Amino acid sequence: MKTIIFLTIVLVSGALAGTLHGVANLAIVEPYLDQAIGIENQNLFASGEEEDTPQFWVEYDAYRDWQKGGQVLAGAILGTSIGALFGIVYAFSRHVLPQGNDLKKTITLAGIMWLTLFFIPFLKYPANPPTVGDAETVVLRAVLYLSFIAISGLGAVAFYQLSKKIKSKSKIISVVGYGIFIAIVFALMPPNPDEVNAPLDLVNGFRAMSVVAVSVFWVSVAVILGGLWHKFRPDSQIHSQNDM
Amino acid sequence: MSQSKGITITESKIPIFAIALLAVIFVLGVFVVGFDQGHIFSIVLGEQAYEDLYIHELTHDMRHAAGFPCH
Repeated sequence: MKTIIFLTIVLVSGALAGTLHGVANLAIVEPYLDQAIGIENQNLFASGEEEDTPQFWVEYDAYRDWQKGGQVLAGAILGTSIGALFGIVYAFSRHVLPQGNDLKKTITLAGIMWLTLFFIPFLKYPANPPTVGDAETVVLRAVLYLSFIAISGLGAVAFYQLSKKIKSKSKIISVVGYGIFIAIVFALMPPNPDEVNAPLDLVNGFRAMSVVAVSVFWVSVAVILGGLWHKFRPDSQIHSQNDM
Repeated sequence: MSQSKGITITESKIPIFAIALLAVIFVLGVFVVGFDQGHIFSIVLGEQAYEDLYIHELTHDMRHAAGFPCH
């Protein structure tokens, strides 16, 4: 394999898709974040922790500009990171993904990873806007969230390997097996310990836009990596043969 | 005299070095965006980094939007 080309296209596709994710967040998630942080501010004023003064709003605006600007940079970093995982999995699974060109294969893999590493864990532990979330429980919530993602991802790999071992021609065994397994895990794992006290339309709108923006990432990384892989073929070596 | 030319395309092995590097990038990136609470800057700034939370604030909005636990 051409290592430099492999690394370059994997990292570039992740960074570009992550940047698109950050831009999508700015466009569709940010209004909900502003609304939620507005509620936090009102709570601070009501409790006397802060005063509603021009000085407060000057500092607040500077602080929010830093966070909003960071959104795109954080998207690029997270995208490069998740893109790196996507590249690893694609390199190892490319030969077993459905027949077709690289774009078809990357979209198939992205769909599987979106479902097992993002959407199913999201259904159990959905994203929450600011105002929802107790600082005292953040470590517990992080452990639960990461554990669920790891169990879901490793479970999907394990059931695929199992279906290979029993030489099943159909993938249905691995799909059904994973479905039953993750349903049990879903039921057994403890819920998010924090109560949701924010307005439900805010929370639901935020969650819906969060899913859309993360999906933008997965579609983008699949399309970009699939296109670049098809163009540069990092896994192929071309030998010329001359017969006289 | 006849001459024929052919091209053979073979698929090559995945370099372990590249996989290891990508795995490190994956872990570091997820930690920076999803979980850092001053840990990385504390290497340089010491305990003050846990008060300043520069990376936390920079990644705050993405942290919420991508589903990581926050606050």
